[in-house]
Amino acid sequence: MFLLKKAIGGVIDVIGNIDPNQFVPSEPPPPRRPLAYAVSNESAEEQQFRKVFNQLAGDDMEVSPTELMNILNKIISKHGDLKTDGFTIESCRSMVAVMDSDSTGKLGFHEFKHLWNNIKKWQGIYKTYDRDHSGTIGADELPAAFRAAGFPLTDQLFQMIIRRYSDESGNMDFDNYIGCLVRLDAMCHAFKTLDKDNDGTIKVNVQEWLQLTMYS
Amino acid sequence: MFSIGGVSTRIYKERLQAEGMGANDLAIKFLNQDYEELRRECVESGRLFEDPCFPAVPQSLGFKELAPNSSKTRGVKWIRPTELSENPQFIVGGATRTDICQGALGDCWLLAAIASLTLNDKLLHRVVPHGQSFTNEYAGIFHFQFWQFGEWVDIVIDDRLPVKDKELMFVHSAEGNEFWSALLEKAYAKLNGSYEALSGGSTTEGFEDFTGGVAEMYELRSAPKDLHRIIAKALERGSLLGCSIDITSAFDMEAVTFKKLVKGHAYSVTALREVNFRGNRERLIRIRNPWGQVEWTGAWSDNSSEWNGIDPSEREELNNHMEDGEFWMSFQEFKRQFSRLEICNLTPDALSDDSQHFWNTIQFNGTWRKGSTAGGCRNNPNTFWINPQYKITLLEEDDDPEDNEVACTFMVALMQKDRRRFRKQGQDMHTIGFALYEFLGSQNVHLKKDFFLRHSSCARSETFINLREVSTRLRLPPGEYLIVPSTFEPGKEADFVLRVFTEKQSETQEMDDEISFNLEDEEAVSEENIDASFKKMFAQLSGEDMEISVHELRTILNRVMTKHRDLKTDGFSLESCRCMINLMDKDGSARLGIVEFQILWNKIRKWLGVFRQFDLDKSGTMSSYEMRLAVESAGFKLNNKLHQILVARYSDGDVIDFDNFVCCLVKLEAMFKSFKELEKEGSGVAELNISEVSHFLLSK
Repeated sequence: MFLLKKAIGGVIDVIGNIDPNQFVPSEPPPPRRPLAYAVSNESAEEQQFRKVFNQLAGDDMEVSPTELMNILNKIISKHGDLKTDGFTIESCRSMVAVMDSDSTGKLGFHEFKHLWNNIKKWQGIYKTYDRDHSGTIGADELPAAFRAAGFPLTDQLFQMIIRRYSDESGNMDFDNYIGCLVRLDAMCHAFKTLDKDNDGTIKVNVQEWLQLTMYS
Repeated sequence: MFSIGGVSTRIYKERLQAEGMGANDLAIKFLNQDYEELRRECVESGRLFEDPCFPAVPQSLGFKELAPNSSKTRGVKWIRPTELSENPQFIVGGATRTDICQGALGDCWLLAAIASLTLNDKLLHRVVPHGQSFTNEYAGIFHFQFWQFGEWVDIVIDDRLPVKDKELMFVHSAEGNEFWSALLEKAYAKLNGSYEALSGGSTTEGFEDFTGGVAEMYELRSAPKDLHRIIAKALERGSLLGCSIDITSAFDMEAVTFKKLVKGHAYSVTALREVNFRGNRERLIRIRNPWGQVEWTGAWSDNSSEWNGIDPSEREELNNHMEDGEFWMSFQEFKRQFSRLEICNLTPDALSDDSQHFWNTIQFNGTWRKGSTAGGCRNNPNTFWINPQYKITLLEEDDDPEDNEVACTFMVALMQKDRRRFRKQGQDMHTIGFALYEFLGSQNVHLKKDFFLRHSSCARSETFINLREVSTRLRLPPGEYLIVPSTFEPGKEADFVLRVFTEKQSETQEMDDEISFNLEDEEAVSEENIDASFKKMFAQLSGEDMEISVHELRTILNRVMTKHRDLKTDGFSLESCRCMINLMDKDGSARLGIVEFQILWNKIRKWLGVFRQFDLDKSGTMSSYEMRLAVESAGFKLNNKLHQILVARYSDGDVIDFDNFVCCLVKLEAMFKSFKELEKEGSGVAELNISEVSHFLLSK
């Protein structure tokens, strides 16, 4: 217990804090309009997207982690320049969890679309910052990539991320990169949601703590 | 707008609710539209409001019969009242019942509820806030408030209304230049997605959305013997009442009977009276037709001869010859002619301050989630117990001189949320109901399967039915009871509101476990205590560096799994092993040393025993509804919300395999311990900055 306490305390003590306002997470989606209106005013790309979604989601109109994994892996298999061993079911469960607010374990259309748009954006950054064209983001490329994605983190946090998401050579492949950013983006929104007085800290009780950490 | 940020939006909403958000005077801004702010912007800029969230386009009308380009919607224009009428008024001389005349939409159920609202100024202005008009700084913007599943919502609209052939297409006033009811209907259409979404409903639904009360429905052919007393008490309490005549085929819809009653049409009940008619007491009931026309022409109708048989002063007071839709009939005739009566019982906050008759009310928000809290009805003994559970304590018997029975009158109402909004997607109401059990325990914990195998229910909802709300009036002796709400079939997901209305004081609470973790049997492990054979095995597995990497851990665990052929699993994934290492790793090396590995190993062996114990059918996987018992057996007590999260996160379909079970418990233990470290001196609260939040949310 002493060892555990010291280690956790130590890790926290050395983490410098960050100004939350420096984070630039994804924009919230626009207000929802009547479904029929929204459909008839969609761009061609959006209509195509909805068609894909309807095929994926099936009767319940929601995307499960397995369905998400299948679509993501189908798409990245067409991008030979992204090195990855494929999105895992565990990673997809986590991505669904951080965006799911009603504990169904699935994503609705808007959530899926939001996730999709983020993945496209972050994919562009991935290609830009993979300067040596290895297909992965190396440890030295990571801070710039994350800053470009809107997340200027401390060195200590980058070290923890590399330990958690990169391989033993410090290289992060595409599925880990996306998995990490999805969580980071959701974390930013969660923090802003709960820090309404904008004082830079949130207070949580044990139930709230477990809700936040276990469903991610 | 949907929210992002996952579970944090739910936490934040729960915090707001705890602070009173959602009360009528603190209504939630629908789609984040702030009426005062938007109105000020329009007044300052000189532009009339145009609502981007419910635009004046064909799609706002409907999706089937009122779909774009349908015959009914061809030629429709959206026009402001200021363009329709030279002298438009919001409310003339206060709201009256003749302000509501039905248009082309089959929402008479809604209009009857609106009409009943006009009988009570306080109720009306909870829905139609004061101070709105077409003159004083008019900006083409209005707002209304509706009760939605336990909370009040403020809806902002512009005043462009659907018009066809120069007449309002939907609800309108008898006078033709009064617009509050048409605008209210528009706001309700916006809330539900379109005008067509309002077609077809029960008056009880409208009653509840305008008052926050609880509605009951009575079939008049099999009415309770004390129906008259129920109605009298309801009117005394200021309740709203609606009635209708069933139809036997679609052709009957709004057909008019011989004596001018309209079938399939919603009426309001507005009064009861007893008169002395030719030496006998005659019970009369007053009814209102929202059409504003077509009145009853039978006995006690406006021009009937029965009025000559009562005292002239009484006749003067009661009778009204206008074709305004309001009429009297005898109570016996009422029961014969009408099929159904609906009563909306109001909460104390909806009543006048001087009222001495009201229901004591309590409300719970709950959820059914597949595998964790959607247990289905009692026909499913394995899962029924996982439904949310609530305890009610009835303290005091009714005051009823006529009745010798020692009993407490109360109502239980179970409502499923948001289903009308899903109609366009083909989803509809679930079949829901509830059961009550006599309860003699002292603990406030979630009861398990055994309780329900050993006890029969002492009361239940009259029927499991696919209505928005199921409510039942009950009379039981003082005592403690358990209420278990459920869907008929297990695994049906929905959110619900459970409300209990009692004539006398009562106590009610959710039966759920307190969150706790048994830290006491955490064994201290140090290198000296590790036995030699374990050290030898570790040395073989870890190689020269004497530390176990992600890959090595996966190899070890999956080798162990193959020795236990009875456990069905895809094998531990690299992701799972990374998660475990990160959670167990204390020195930040991304590897496990021998002490860390021994601790993890001990836990996995213990949890393997738990897993086997709860894999009751020896299928090699655990049913997700057994997860609660297994997690509890492993030392963690969690409540319904947390169990829903674990099942949503770690189950696959209806089952949880061993590797997911282990990952869940490793993380659960780590997070409990982290909270203990972060908690300020046992205050129950942890305070974190964004770096700390990032650390915990990203590290596992």
